[in-house]
Amino acid sequence: MQFTKELDASGLLCPIPIIKAKQALAALTAGQVLRVVSTDPGSVRDMKALAAKTGNALLEQVSENNKYVFYLRKA
Amino acid sequence: MSPASAVLGGGLVLAIVFGAVASRSSFCIMGAISDARNMGDWDRMRMWLLAVAVAVIGANLMYYAGWIDLSRSVYQRPVVPWLSLLLGGTLFGVGMTLAGGCPNKNLIRLGGGSLRSLVVLVFLAISAYMTLKGLFAQWRTRFLDPFTIDLSAMGLDNQGLASIVAKATGLPHAQALLASLSIVGAGLLLAVFRDRQFRSQPGIAASAAVLGLLIAGGWYLTGHIGHGENPDTLEIVYFATNTRTLESFSFVAPTGYSLELLMLWSDRSLHATFGIVSVLGVMLGSLLVALATRSFRLEGFASMQDLRSHLAGAVLMGFGGVTAIGCTVGQGLSGLSTLAPGSLIAVAGIVCGSVATMRWLERG
Repeated sequence: MQFTKELDASGLLCPIPIIKAKQALAALTAGQVLRVVSTDPGSVRDMKALAAKTGNALLEQVSENNKYVFYLRKA
Repeated sequence: MSPASAVLGGGLVLAIVFGAVASRSSFCIMGAISDARNMGDWDRMRMWLLAVAVAVIGANLMYYAGWIDLSRSVYQRPVVPWLSLLLGGTLFGVGMTLAGGCPNKNLIRLGGGSLRSLVVLVFLAISAYMTLKGLFAQWRTRFLDPFTIDLSAMGLDNQGLASIVAKATGLPHAQALLASLSIVGAGLLLAVFRDRQFRSQPGIAASAAVLGLLIAGGWYLTGHIGHGENPDTLEIVYFATNTRTLESFSFVAPTGYSLELLMLWSDRSLHATFGIVSVLGVMLGSLLVALATRSFRLEGFASMQDLRSHLAGAVLMGFGGVTAIGCTVGQGLSGLSTLAPGSLIAVAGIVCGSVATMRWLERG
């Protein structure tokens, strides 16, 4: 999937991935896509909630072993 | 079965369930603060409130029925160390946000294979023990604990809400207790279930309710089953607790006591306790879930900064959690379940410390 910017939050734990994702999204313009990489299992729930609450769509979420990749599109 | 064995065995079982449920559900008090602050999502706050509501109702109904005497718990002392509670809570809140979660969360992560959490817990244990009996204890007792509000000077022999209501209204304690638990319990349940989105998620409500029941279970175990006559001294005692009175779940001091027991195993004056088996149990519960879901994975630190944050967080949680007489679970669930105003002070500190740290993390 195409993306505009990547945020690598590997190894970082709650609440850092969600704080950084919010910041990264704020720097994008509408329609741009942020790819977030995380290793914290809690981030699966967090990113879904972030998308639902802020209107930035969660386009795709891929889980592989203990790596979680999210594609969020700025509203 | 002796009362001590029942407390230890029962405590281990309850804690394993606690660990399993907490690791499977999204219940997390730091997560609740993060969700509310960062996303305007209050679902996990509602989970916390629901757990408290169930714990309040359960614990106080047992108190009303005469099965347990909550006024004997450490949270209910009539001398309220407000500065220790506030500052301790704040430092704990800062610490947990730096260390990827509170001690309960770190025990769960440890069960899932995190060596990072193992390091956090060991440093937390050392810091906690230093705050109970060592160098930090000197600082705590000299600079923080002396600042108190003495409710006994106002004729109260404990800080429980029921006692305060009874004193203020002239009602007998039992009636004041029933009124307090009903109003607080009903109020919390209303606040939680009036939200349609929360109502549509029975799974998260159920897991929060189970955790609340486990808190009540801890009180019953230590306060009723573990309360009886010591066959050697013929004194009425509370068996197998570190505080020598009734307890429910709490994870800072118990982690310190667990390390103490491991290090001084041959010291006959040291024994396994409810607190110690609950530390073990939560970790085991999480481990069992991790093995069952094949998600057990060794994990270390991500970077030098990550190591620094976690070490600082661990030491802060150890100091803060003991000084505030409890952590997110100890005060945020067990303490609040006794309707002690002091617990509100500690929890306010925890929330402020955590929010301030999230703000700082945002800037960095």
